[in-house]
Amino acid sequence: MNGPLPTLVTVLSLALAAWAVVLLIRNKPVGRALVVGVGVLEVVLVALVVSGIAQMIGSSRDFSRATFVGYLLGAAAIPPIAALWSLDESDRYGTTVLLVALLVMPVMILRLQQVWAGPVG
Amino acid sequence: MAESEQEIAAATRRGPGRILITVYAIFALAATARSLVQIATKFGEAPLAFLLSALAGVIYIVATVSLVRGDRASRRVAKIAISIELAGVLLVGAASLIFPHSFPVATVWSGFGSGYGFVPLVLPFFGLWWLRKTDRPA
Repeated sequence: MNGPLPTLVTVLSLALAAWAVVLLIRNKPVGRALVVGVGVLEVVLVALVVSGIAQMIGSSRDFSRATFVGYLLGAAAIPPIAALWSLDESDRYGTTVLLVALLVMPVMILRLQQVWAGPVG
Repeated sequence: MAESEQEIAAATRRGPGRILITVYAIFALAATARSLVQIATKFGEAPLAFLLSALAGVIYIVATVSLVRGDRASRRVAKIAISIELAGVLLVGAASLIFPHSFPVATVWSGFGSGYGFVPLVLPFFGLWWLRKTDRPA
């Protein structure tokens, strides 16, 4: 995909993941500030979904469109679900849940870009 | 003293169980979505691989849901699903190396899950360990 949004998602996810690691080391639960950070990430992800679908419609290239949309929606679904799931448990395990989800995000973006670049495959 | 079903369910979801469920949910999403697209768009190319991907997706969903529910009956279901998963990743992992031509397209379990950082190989051990650790006498 063109534009800064995929890179922004990767950078933001890794920054939030680093934050979660700091909380883990200090044995702290997920705080309000980190939840706000995940909220910001989600806003960027919604923009990514809109922009991604718009770019897909505007493109005549041959790539797996269903997979592409699947990765877009999957990526946008992960942070809010993980945040809810982690807030349910206010200890370091809750923080780890959020960390795992945040580390999956760069992989989702990588696969999204591979699907966008490649032919049907 | 026997614990209530709610206490057993809470213990299943607590602590490391919460991380376990997170990873299962991610694999349920990834494996299922991938196999649905593959089966819908190019089933004829590699039906065996795609059916195995779909089976893996279903097993991950069953494991996720039963771990979230966490009561005695659900824990039995989870134990069976995760055991099948362990057998699947070992058999498919070995078969994909011995008979590579039968697996022209990668599945979640090919090469013992090497395409997914070997997480599919570690996950069932983690799952069975956790169910064993939180087991309570009836």
